[in-house]
Amino acid sequence: MKKRWIDLGYIVTLLISLAVALLIGAVILAVTGHDPLKAYGALLGGAFSNARHIGDMLEYAMVLCLCGLACDIGSRVGIFNVGGEGQLLLGAIFAAQIGVWMKGASPYLAIPCAALGAMAVGGFYAFIPGYLKVKQKVNEVITTIMLNTVAVFICQFLAKGPWKNANKNIVAGTENLPSGFWLTKLVPGSNLSTAIIAAAVMTFFVWYILQKTSKGYEMRLTGDNPRFAKYAGLKTDRIVLITMIVSGMMCGLVGMFRVYGAEHIYKSTVSNEYYFEGLMVAMIAQYQPVPTIIISLIFAVLKIGAMGMETAAGVPKQLYLIIQTVVIFCMAAETGIRAGIARAREKRAARQDVKERSKGGVEHA
Amino acid sequence: MHNTIWSTIFSAGTFNQMFRSATPVALAALGGLMTEHAGIMNIGMDGMILMGAFVGAVASYFLASAFLGVLAAVLFGVLIGLFFALFTVKLKSDEFIIGCALNTFAMGVTAFLSREIFGLSGTSGYAVPSLPVVRIPLIRSIPFVGDILSGHSVFVYATWVLVLLMWLFVYRTPVGLWIRAAGESPETLRTAGKNPERMKWIASILCGVFCGLAGAHLSLGYLNGSFVEGMSASRGYIAFACVIFAAANPPKAYLAALMFGFFDALGLRLQNYISSDLTGTIPYLITIVMMVYVVVSAQKRRERLARQQLLKLE
Repeated sequence: MKKRWIDLGYIVTLLISLAVALLIGAVILAVTGHDPLKAYGALLGGAFSNARHIGDMLEYAMVLCLCGLACDIGSRVGIFNVGGEGQLLLGAIFAAQIGVWMKGASPYLAIPCAALGAMAVGGFYAFIPGYLKVKQKVNEVITTIMLNTVAVFICQFLAKGPWKNANKNIVAGTENLPSGFWLTKLVPGSNLSTAIIAAAVMTFFVWYILQKTSKGYEMRLTGDNPRFAKYAGLKTDRIVLITMIVSGMMCGLVGMFRVYGAEHIYKSTVSNEYYFEGLMVAMIAQYQPVPTIIISLIFAVLKIGAMGMETAAGVPKQLYLIIQTVVIFCMAAETGIRAGIARAREKRAARQDVKERSKGGVEHA
Repeated sequence: MHNTIWSTIFSAGTFNQMFRSATPVALAALGGLMTEHAGIMNIGMDGMILMGAFVGAVASYFLASAFLGVLAAVLFGVLIGLFFALFTVKLKSDEFIIGCALNTFAMGVTAFLSREIFGLSGTSGYAVPSLPVVRIPLIRSIPFVGDILSGHSVFVYATWVLVLLMWLFVYRTPVGLWIRAAGESPETLRTAGKNPERMKWIASILCGVFCGLAGAHLSLGYLNGSFVEGMSASRGYIAFACVIFAAANPPKAYLAALMFGFFDALGLRLQNYISSDLTGTIPYLITIVMMVYVVVSAQKRRERLARQQLLKLE
């Protein structure tokens, strides 16, 4: 199953699914007494009306894209990193605390330290399920889901306990990040910072390694046919484990970007299940890097637009989640129906074949 | 000091809370073990619970009856089970993708509609009729035991009956056997003239029903008639863990849920001594350890069998 650069069938499916999802969204809006056209207008306005919104939109697209890519590389070797949320949160809180510890140091020292710290924590947190999967064949989906919740608890504990902000109004959060360490904003007032440049470089490398290098080919081989890969002399266990760790490092780094680029403090708002939204993007993109980038942008427009829609038209922003998941259901249905038709056709052909052969058999007898 | 800690841990209040916390998880786990037996990896239970909680609360709110709310949640559970089976069984979609999408969809749709119905805060307050509390006549007057076992919402007791019924259903009825066969060896079942896909549909619907019940209990019993956004609070995942933990055996799954309930209650009780955030991690960590144990022991068993067979050959 070689994926071509432009898969027309996939694009048509995606567009139809998006259209159906928006239509269903419109029906929900109409039933709940909103004007769908006005609401969707407000949605577009919310995403594009001014530079600040566009900045926020691009920052969110960055988060979705990196999370989606972290999931892509895992699926390439046949392991699902569902634990990105935990890796992201732990990366964020450690990066924030490293910044607090290094107060007064040069930002050229502190920021790389924070990035390395976040990557180390995220990588380690992905290593646990990866190791269990490789060595003991423990299902990584379940362990990563469990570890997500554990990470949420650990972060809450740290942010309420040892690393708590001295300000009583902040119930759970680390100290504010020294302003010298803040990444430069590309659009004043928005969340968009120079982190997106680093993200773009990372995205390019992921794409390059997956599509253009022999390492990427080895990864694909490991995912598609592990037994063959092993016989071909690949250390599949090592490839899977390293990929999982890299995936966790990427998630940890996203947490660091969120803290240093946008929030300037660790609070629970650093990520509200953003990784799961990135996971949805990766699923819709069928774990391919280039579609992941494009679909991240589409969903970032929907999400930031939905926030504008909430303030402008009074429509709850969660409409965005409904639209996103309906796209997934539509695409799954379309693929399923197409495969079903193909199976039915094959069956008919086989039956025809059997009939003809049995006729032949009778003659011979 | 130590005395007070121990008396706090092993007080009637802890065990009372244990049963309270365990019940929604146990109900969902009863559903989850059906899909597990049928060979469907169902990580969408969290979303099913959340939607069940919402439907139960809304129906109870508009129909002014908690029992009609439960009924609505159960009927909705049938629908959601059909929906899940449509994708995972009929369309052969990736179970993992559909489960994830179902969870996110539930989050979005319940938050959206609850804001539309109950106003911007997204919670219903306590305006929803709730389920009655049962005070068992004789047991309630026994000193320690009465405080633990009496005075729960009806669902706590209903769950005990359901655990027993499900155990009988899974291990003592033909349909239960067929469902297990559909997961373990679908081709054998097909050879025996039963359709494994139909068994998966049944398992999926049962899972929807139990998750609907779990949700209805959450909004109408556990929280005395209120809906809060995201109130399933990853109980679906915990239920899933209980199923794995218990190898999909109903009474064992209930015990696993009780263990979760115990640590949940413990966290609340020990807040003065240790952060509840740290005690909260215990059930999840135990689940991971248990999963490793289950897998490793199965591996060992297989190795032992293989060795025995080798010896026989020699």
